[in-house]
Amino acid sequence: MLIGIPANQQRNETRQPKECAVEMSGYLDTIAKQRCKLSFSKIFSYFAPRLRSYALKQMGNEALAMELVQDTMSNVWQKAHLFNSEKGSPSTWIFTIARNIRFDMLRKLQNRKEDVCSDDLWPVLCEQTADPKVAPLDEQITLEQVGQYFNELPAKQQKVIEAIYIHGKSQQEVADELEIPLGTVKSRTRLALQRLKDMLKEYD
Amino acid sequence: MIKFHPKSSTLANFVEGTLPSVNSLIISAHCDMCPSCLDKIDELTQVAANGVFSNDIVESVTHRDYISMFECITREQSLVKTSIVETRNQFIEVDGRKFSLPKSLARLTGRIGEWSRLVGKLWLAPVDVGGPFLMQLLYMEKGGYVPEHTHKGNEISLVLSGQFDDGSYQYSSGDYIALNQIHTHTPVSISDGGCLVVVCLDKPLQFTKGWANLMNPLSQLYFKVNTH
Repeated sequence: MLIGIPANQQRNETRQPKECAVEMSGYLDTIAKQRCKLSFSKIFSYFAPRLRSYALKQMGNEALAMELVQDTMSNVWQKAHLFNSEKGSPSTWIFTIARNIRFDMLRKLQNRKEDVCSDDLWPVLCEQTADPKVAPLDEQITLEQVGQYFNELPAKQQKVIEAIYIHGKSQQEVADELEIPLGTVKSRTRLALQRLKDMLKEYD
Repeated sequence: MIKFHPKSSTLANFVEGTLPSVNSLIISAHCDMCPSCLDKIDELTQVAANGVFSNDIVESVTHRDYISMFECITREQSLVKTSIVETRNQFIEVDGRKFSLPKSLARLTGRIGEWSRLVGKLWLAPVDVGGPFLMQLLYMEKGGYVPEHTHKGNEISLVLSGQFDDGSYQYSSGDYIALNQIHTHTPVSISDGGCLVVVCLDKPLQFTKGWANLMNPLSQLYFKVNTH
């Protein structure tokens, strides 16, 4: 008797990833919300053997291949809440996790000295944070554009933007440091971002 | 408007994780600036994922290795808190000007060395990424230039701000440029605010013309390798 993986899961699953994307998304959701082992066993049965054949081709070694499979599936189990079905399918998400693990494993094995890890290149399993109040504007302004116009802001606004965006300080910290009211910091931030936005519109 | 993009095959290699990591970093930064390549990356990732998982001949998971793996993974009950990435903008300063970096390069700000001003209104700062590659930030003041040169190896660049003209093309912010031994050029900055480029080399430059030839023995100036 096999423990953990229900007997009806043990047969081969020959459907294409696209055909079972919706079903697999549902399983990821129940794993995230209920830590559901049954859902995980469905994901596991489908993806683990396929990952193994990918891993064998990539790593050329059974033990390393199984390590890659285990690390990938373990991330799926523990970080299922980071899967976002609006951004892509379960197979794409799981592929990117496996690709990242493979990248870091090979980097370690080949003793490569480059100081670049998979998170730097593909932050698949990182939660992105941003101040919700300024995030929408951030998205509209590309980084390079901001740089171009930054110098045109009044000195006082530059100072506030720099403290918040470069040094990562909170608005309160900036207020304390510059000995100005919090409201002033807020209005300078808002004015500066608005001004950048206007300059960008003019430029377009 | 970004006019120069990585080849589709390069993007595919990026997605599969088979490009050298420093090249990948430049591609990643280009995609921060280029929505169309970002879309391509999404498509190529789906294609790669389908390729990996469409395999029909699949073994069943009854093998004891799979069973014990399943047991081992699911023994961990709680969800893991994941690392949180700062997405704040990062700025760098050179010649009294401030530039923001694309987010893929923003994580490297701590590894950017001192700026040094060279001949030709040219500024260089090393970026310590380790390994056999050299990454540098190159800033050309207005009218600043790099003397005519060719490349002993591969040179990959991304324009971060401003424009330059290398005699063949004009490159602007966001443009991705991959050159090798067959290319000889003289990049000249043509924008008022100067031009900031991130350059990645695997071999030193070879200067080809006039007095700049004198610089060949010094070309490690353009290829400073960090030893620490």
